[in-house]
Amino acid sequence: MAFIERNGEEHRSLTHVNEKCVGCGICKDICPTGSIKTGPILPIARGLLKMDYININKDTCCLCGLCATACPFNALEFTLNGANIKDMSEYPQWGHSSKIDSDACIYCKSCETACPQDAIRVVRELPERSKLVSGEISADDEKCINCKVCEELCPAGAITIKEDGPFSHKVEIDEDKCVYCLVCRRACPTQAIKAVCESCSYGEYKINPEDAVIKGEVFLNDESCVNCGWCQEVCPVDAAAITKPFEGSITTNKEICKGESCHACMDICPCNAVSIVDGKSQIDQKFCILCGACTQVCPQHAIDLKREKMNLNNIRSKSWKKQIKKLVTEGTCGK
Amino acid sequence: MAIVIDPEKCGKIKNCPGEGLCIKLCEKGAIIEENGEVVLVPEKCDECDICIQNCPNQAISKA
Repeated sequence: MAFIERNGEEHRSLTHVNEKCVGCGICKDICPTGSIKTGPILPIARGLLKMDYININKDTCCLCGLCATACPFNALEFTLNGANIKDMSEYPQWGHSSKIDSDACIYCKSCETACPQDAIRVVRELPERSKLVSGEISADDEKCINCKVCEELCPAGAITIKEDGPFSHKVEIDEDKCVYCLVCRRACPTQAIKAVCESCSYGEYKINPEDAVIKGEVFLNDESCVNCGWCQEVCPVDAAAITKPFEGSITTNKEICKGESCHACMDICPCNAVSIVDGKSQIDQKFCILCGACTQVCPQHAIDLKREKMNLNNIRSKSWKKQIKKLVTEGTCGK
Repeated sequence: MAIVIDPEKCGKIKNCPGEGLCIKLCEKGAIIEENGEVVLVPEKCDECDICIQNCPNQAISKA
């Protein structure tokens, strides 16, 4: 973790949180004093080297805060007299966000599975199984010959034969597990089981719809979310809404891409937006946030990134506007 | 164009900051270790340039 501070008229500090950093190089591109250098991003991403993605030169950093403002991942924190500039009305604010509507969510966990950053947790409480079926079941211990056919066959594992001694046994049926499928009754060689399924014979009138409700809660961790849009794409009820940090386009030059031999782009992408199709890299724009990390690591310079719009608002300073505009380019191939 | 490893610049395995980083990065197994030396297997190389880009000693180039 890099940390720089200085005391002048006010106390200024810059902290780099490597855990949130994806190695996109936006800070390096925007730094007006050239004080930020990216490290060996690909070997770090592949776990071959243990070091931070970026290096900040403490001697030349002027603690202006531009890098922290431009970082879409909150990996750089800049404070003025202890207060984060992200919370100050004078400073620019990112407009990108991710929201999952808990009221619309049906707790299917599709987003939790798809999220490349493990930023989503779905906690759910399922209905009681016994309340979703209705019926009656009983066993006649006198008729039972302890053959254990029912115990072996029961698909719900609801039957156990309890043996008190060599000639004493009892059929125990767990009615919380039994779904009245009647397999035991049909298979019993001595007709010792009496069972009836009411759900089948009388429809569902005996079942209270409220008992079938799945309760739950969905938690989205803003700290690790990168606004890639996977949750929005997989959600069957449109409960997730994502606004990305940049708008634009990204394409791979299939002529020069080495695909499977390299797959550096796939390894660095924080959004799981890259796949190898027909031996070449393919970036799915639906999930790409145009951070540019792939362009930093592509050894063939085969990725063309065009950022047309940046969702950074409230840029009051003219010089900052000029500098930040550098991120919105007409095509860059990792330099 | 073929990949060339400059033996003067290459830190071998012992003196490489990445302890043979090119070997670890190459997905084709085109760079191997032989008695502590870093050796290129040209038949396996697909010229993806990952080794050139990431060599900490800038010892790999195209000739």
